[in-house]
Amino acid sequence: MSQVNRIKGGLVNRSKALNFTFNGKSMQGYVGDTLASALLANGQVLVGRSFKYHRPRGILTAGSEEPNALVQLRSGAAQEPNTRATVAELFDGLTATSQNHRGSLEFDLMAATDMVSPFLAAGFYYKTFMWPAAFWEKFYEPVIRNSAGLGRLSMEEDPDTYDKGFLHCDLLVIGAGPSGLSAALTAARTGARVILADEDFAPGGRLNSETFEVDGMAGADWAAQTVAELASMDNVRLMTRTTVYGAFDHGIYGALERCTDHLPGAGGKPRQVLWRIYSKRAVLAAGATERPIAFGNNDRPGIMLASAVRTYVNRFGVTPGQKVAVLTNNDDGWRTASDLAAKGVEVVAVIDTRNRPAVCDVPGARHIRGAGVVDTAGRKALKRITLTDGQMIDVDCLAVSGGWNPAVHLTCHQRGRPVWNEQIAAFVPGENLPAGMVVAGAAGGALTLAAALGEGARMATSQVQDLGFDASAQAAPKAEDEAYEGEPKWHIPSGKKRAWVDFQNDVTVKDIKMSHREGFKSVEHLKRYTTTGMATDQGKTSNMSALAIMAECTGKSIPETGTTIFRPPYTPVPMGALAGRARGTDFRPYRLTPSHEWATKHGATFVEVGNWLRAQWFVKGNEAGWRDSVDREVLNTRNSVGICDVTTLGKIDIQGKDAAEFLNKVYANAFAKLAVGRVRYGIMLREDGICYDDGTTARMAENHFVMTTTTANAVLVFRRMEFVRQCLYPDLDVHMISTTDAWAQFAVAGPNARKLLTKIVDADSQDMSNEGFPFMACGEITVCGGTPGRLFRISFSGELAYEIAVPARYGNSLMEALMKAGEEFGACPYGTEALSVMRIEKGHAAGNELDGRTTAHMLGMGGMVSKKKDCIGKILSQRPEMNREDAERLVGFRPVDRSQKLIAGSHFINKGDDATMANDQGWMTSVAWSPSLDHSVGLGFIKSGHTRMGEIVRAVSPLHNTEMEVEIVSAHFIDPEGERLRA
Amino acid sequence: MPDFTLISAPPLAGYSASFGDIKLSAPKDLAIVSIALPLGGEDSAKAAIKSAFGIDLPEVGTSATTGDDATALMRLGVDQAFVLFACATPDAERQIAAKLNGAVYTTDQTDAWCSLEISGPGARRALERICPVDLHPDAFAVSAVARTIMEHMGAIIARTDEDTFLLLSASSSAKSFLHAVELSAKNVT
Repeated sequence: MSQVNRIKGGLVNRSKALNFTFNGKSMQGYVGDTLASALLANGQVLVGRSFKYHRPRGILTAGSEEPNALVQLRSGAAQEPNTRATVAELFDGLTATSQNHRGSLEFDLMAATDMVSPFLAAGFYYKTFMWPAAFWEKFYEPVIRNSAGLGRLSMEEDPDTYDKGFLHCDLLVIGAGPSGLSAALTAARTGARVILADEDFAPGGRLNSETFEVDGMAGADWAAQTVAELASMDNVRLMTRTTVYGAFDHGIYGALERCTDHLPGAGGKPRQVLWRIYSKRAVLAAGATERPIAFGNNDRPGIMLASAVRTYVNRFGVTPGQKVAVLTNNDDGWRTASDLAAKGVEVVAVIDTRNRPAVCDVPGARHIRGAGVVDTAGRKALKRITLTDGQMIDVDCLAVSGGWNPAVHLTCHQRGRPVWNEQIAAFVPGENLPAGMVVAGAAGGALTLAAALGEGARMATSQVQDLGFDASAQAAPKAEDEAYEGEPKWHIPSGKKRAWVDFQNDVTVKDIKMSHREGFKSVEHLKRYTTTGMATDQGKTSNMSALAIMAECTGKSIPETGTTIFRPPYTPVPMGALAGRARGTDFRPYRLTPSHEWATKHGATFVEVGNWLRAQWFVKGNEAGWRDSVDREVLNTRNSVGICDVTTLGKIDIQGKDAAEFLNKVYANAFAKLAVGRVRYGIMLREDGICYDDGTTARMAENHFVMTTTTANAVLVFRRMEFVRQCLYPDLDVHMISTTDAWAQFAVAGPNARKLLTKIVDADSQDMSNEGFPFMACGEITVCGGTPGRLFRISFSGELAYEIAVPARYGNSLMEALMKAGEEFGACPYGTEALSVMRIEKGHAAGNELDGRTTAHMLGMGGMVSKKKDCIGKILSQRPEMNREDAERLVGFRPVDRSQKLIAGSHFINKGDDATMANDQGWMTSVAWSPSLDHSVGLGFIKSGHTRMGEIVRAVSPLHNTEMEVEIVSAHFIDPEGERLRA
Repeated sequence: MPDFTLISAPPLAGYSASFGDIKLSAPKDLAIVSIALPLGGEDSAKAAIKSAFGIDLPEVGTSATTGDDATALMRLGVDQAFVLFACATPDAERQIAAKLNGAVYTTDQTDAWCSLEISGPGARRALERICPVDLHPDAFAVSAVARTIMEHMGAIIARTDEDTFLLLSASSSAKSFLHAVELSAKNVT
C-alpha cells in the first residue's frame, strides 16, 4: 500500500522513510510520524473494534486523549496491548496489530453483538446476570471476560527493564505548547532551574498543528527556536516523551518518561523511567482537549475531531480524507476547512450548528448554517452524512468540533473542583490548586494564541519572582489572537440512531438518558451505571458531553450537575514502570551476616528475618529433613558445644555522663547500679505499660553501655530511644549510635564453650575461669593474637554460654577459627531453629511471647518493674486490670500423650468445658520438639498458670481441627535451677 | 604465635569498576569513628577537635578536611560527627580517642558502613536514579553532607569534589547497595 493520503508540507522528515506493518501488511511512513499519522497516510482508516459492540473504529484524535485507535505494539513477550496509535512514535520495523476482534479486523465475528445492541444497553449486566446465582462465577463471568477486555497480555515476563528517579527544580512547566514554552523561556532566562516536560516527542503543542505566526515566524519554527534556546541552557532540563501524570503533596509531581519506546529495541537500558519531581513552583500548561458532538452513528472510521484533522494536515502532511466536511459549533472548525483547502484537499461543506454568517471563505465548500448531522453511512469507512434537513452529502471524512475542554486534571488531584466558565462553555481550574501551582494558557481557559503566550510569560514571571529571581523586563512572544467564539452543542437529536458519547466504553446518549430514567442522576452514579469515563482514556473526550446531556435530562445547569473526581494518573502508567527496578532478588535489600560466606559453604539453609538472611539450620551428611539437622544441632550444643551467628541482634552504643540514668528510664528494671564489667537482662515497657522489647545491656565503662535488642525491634528501639533522649530528657548527657553492623557476634554455647574459647581469646586479655569471668560478666578482650573483641557471658540456650564479638570484617574468619578450635570437641554450627528450640526448652520469652499484648506481670517478670525508680510505662503498668491475680501467666506445657505434637496458636480450655470464646483460658505461644526430652514442649499464657502446675487442660485449635490434653508445667524444661549457665 | 589468625574481609574491599564516564570504587581501608559532643562540654570538645586536627568542627550538613587531606570530619548532627581516615588496623577508635583525650565520646563505626566513591561527569546522572537529595551544586556544594535513603537503605552522601561523591550505607546490605549504585550507573551510560 502506498501513502495515498500523504500531502505536501508538514514536519516529518521525508528523506527518512520507515517501514512498519499493521496486521501483517507492510506500510511506510517517515521519521516524525506517529503510528496513527502513518496509518492514515497509507489510507488505513479502520484500525480497531469497539469495546462492547465491536463496531469498526478509526482514529478520532491526534493525542493522548484517543479513545478509539488502541492497538497492540511489538510481539512476543514485549507485546503491549491498548497502546494509543496517536501517541506511538513510528520507528523502523514497528509491528502493530489491531485488537478486540475474532477473525480479521475487517470481518469480526463478535460484531454480531452490535446486532443485538438493543438488549445490551447500560446496566444490562447488572440486571441480566443475576440468576441463577451459581451461574455467575462458572458461566457468566468467564464468558463476559472472554468477550471483553480489548488487547491481550503476552502472559510472559516483561523483558524490558524500568527505573525511577528523583528530580528537583525551581519551576516545573507541564506542557510545551505555546504557554508552556513561553513560561519556560521566561523563567529560564532569569536563571531559575526549570524542568519542561511534555508528553509529545516534538515540543510545541498546537503550534506544530496550526498555521499561526509567533514573533513574525511560523509557530512551529518559533517553537523549534525556543526549544533550541532552552536546550542550550544549563539551568533547563527539557523532557520530551514525558507525561506528568499526577500532582502530589508539597509540590511533588509524578512523571513517566518513555525513554526507548520510540526505538526498535531498548539496548539493555530502562524502557521507561518514573520520575518524582520536587518542584518549588509549577506552571500547568497542559492545554485543552477538543470535544466531539454526539449525533447518529458518529463513530464511523473517518469521523474525527477537527483539531486532529488540522494536526494530520499541518504537522504530518497527511490528509485523513479526500472529500471532507466539517461540523462545528465554533469558529475553530472553520480553520480546519481553510487549512485543508489551503493544502488542496477538497472541502465539500462546513456545517455550522450556529445560524450565522461564514467565519471565513473556504474555496469550494458550501456553508450550511444552523444545521447538524443526524446520521452517517459506511460500514468500515465513512461514505455519507445525512443532515438535519435530510440532505445527504458524500464524504470520506467528517471533521467535528464541539469546542474545547481545558485539561484541568492535575489541578484536581488534591480534591480541587473546577468551576464553570460560561464564556467558553467549559470547566476551568478552580481556586483550590495544589500548593505552588498556577495555570497558564488553554488549561486555564485562555484558548487563543496571544493569550496563551502572554499568560505563560506572566505566570512564570510571578512564580520565579516569588522565589526571588529577577524576572523584570521580559516581553511575551507576540502573536495575533485568532477568532474564537462558539455556542455549546453537545448532541444533535438523531431519532433512533445511536449517538456515541464515550467511544472507548461504547456509551451512547440513549444510555445516559436511561441512567437518568432509572434514577442514577448524580454524575458519580451516571459514571458507574453507564461506565462512561471509566476506560483507559478516563473520558477525556466524553465526560463533559455526558454530564451536559445529564444536565439536560435533569433540567439543571452544568455547574449544578458537577464533575466526577479526577485522580492520577493523567494517562495510563505501566505496572512495570511503577515497579521500577524492584524485581526478583533485588525486590528489596537483603542483609547478610558476617559468616554468610562460611555458612553458604557449609550447608546452611537460609531464612529471611526482616531483611536479614540467617542460617536456619546446617545440613550434615545424609540428613533427610530439617528436623534431623535441628535435633542434632540442639543435642550437640547441649552435650558439647555449638556456635551461632547472632550478629542480627540490635546493638546500640550508649555513652554519656547520664547514660546510666537514661537506661533507668527506658528499662523497667534498675540499671544505674550495674557494675562495670557486668551485663543485665532488661525489659522495656511502652507508655501504656505493655512489654515492648527485651535484651541485655553491658556496662563496658562507667559512662559506656552496649545495649542488645531483639533482631526485629533493633530499629524501633533505637528510634524510640532517640525520641526519649531528644524530646523527653533533653537535659541528660547521653549519646547513641547503632553498632549492629559493626560487630560480628557469635554465641558459643554448651559445656565445652569455655574450653573452646580459651583457645581463641588471648590469655593475657582475659581470665576465662568461672571466677575470673562469671555468668553475666562482660569485657574488652583480644582474640587470635591481638584482634580487639568483646566477650559477654550470657546465655539464651540455658547452657554455659558466651557471646564473642569482633569487628565485622573479621566475622567470617572468626567463624572459621571457632570451628577449627572446636574440632576436638565436635563443635557444630547451629541455626535459628536450634536457637529457638533451646530457648523454648529453657523457657526464655521471645517475640511470640512479647507480642505487644503482654505485660511483665503475665510474663512472670512483674517483680522486675522497679518500685524504687520511675521508668517509661511504670504508672500505667500499675493499673489494677493489668495486675489481676487471674491474669494469663507464662508457663510451660507438655502433651499428656508424649507422642503428640503441640500446636502453637492453640487455645486452652478446661476439661469438661465447651470450646467457646467464653471458656478461653489462654493460648499457646511457642512450641518445639525437644530432642533433649524426646517430646513436644510448649510455652503459653494461661489464667493463673503459676498456681496450676500439674493440671491437665485441653489445647484446642479450631484452625487445625485438633484437640489434645496438655499438662501445665514450669516453663523451664531444662536446668530449672540454672546450674549449667553458671558452671 | 597464636593458633589462629583472623583475616580482614570488608564487604566491598577492592571493588573498582567503570561505566562510561562514571567510575565506582570502594575506598581502601576507610576507617570511620563517630564522635559525640558531651552535653555542656561542646566548647571544650570543639577546642579539642581544633587542636587534634587543626581544623574547626564543620557546621551540620557539611564536612571539612585537614590540611594534609588525610582526615575528614563530617558533621551529621548537632552533637554528632564522623572522623574518616585511612587505617588498616582495627584500632581506629583508640587512635581518635587518644587524640581527643576524653573531650568527646567515640565509637568505632568502620565496620558498620560500607563505602563507595562515585565520580565522573555522569555521577550526578546516576545518583538521580536512587538519591532523593537535590545534588545540584547550588543546593549541594562541595563538602555538603546529607543523610538520606537510597533504595530503602539508609545512606550518607557527601560531595567530596565537583564530580565526586562518597556514599556510605550499612555494611550488612553492602551487596544490595552496590547493586543499587552499579545499576544506576549502568542505566545512564
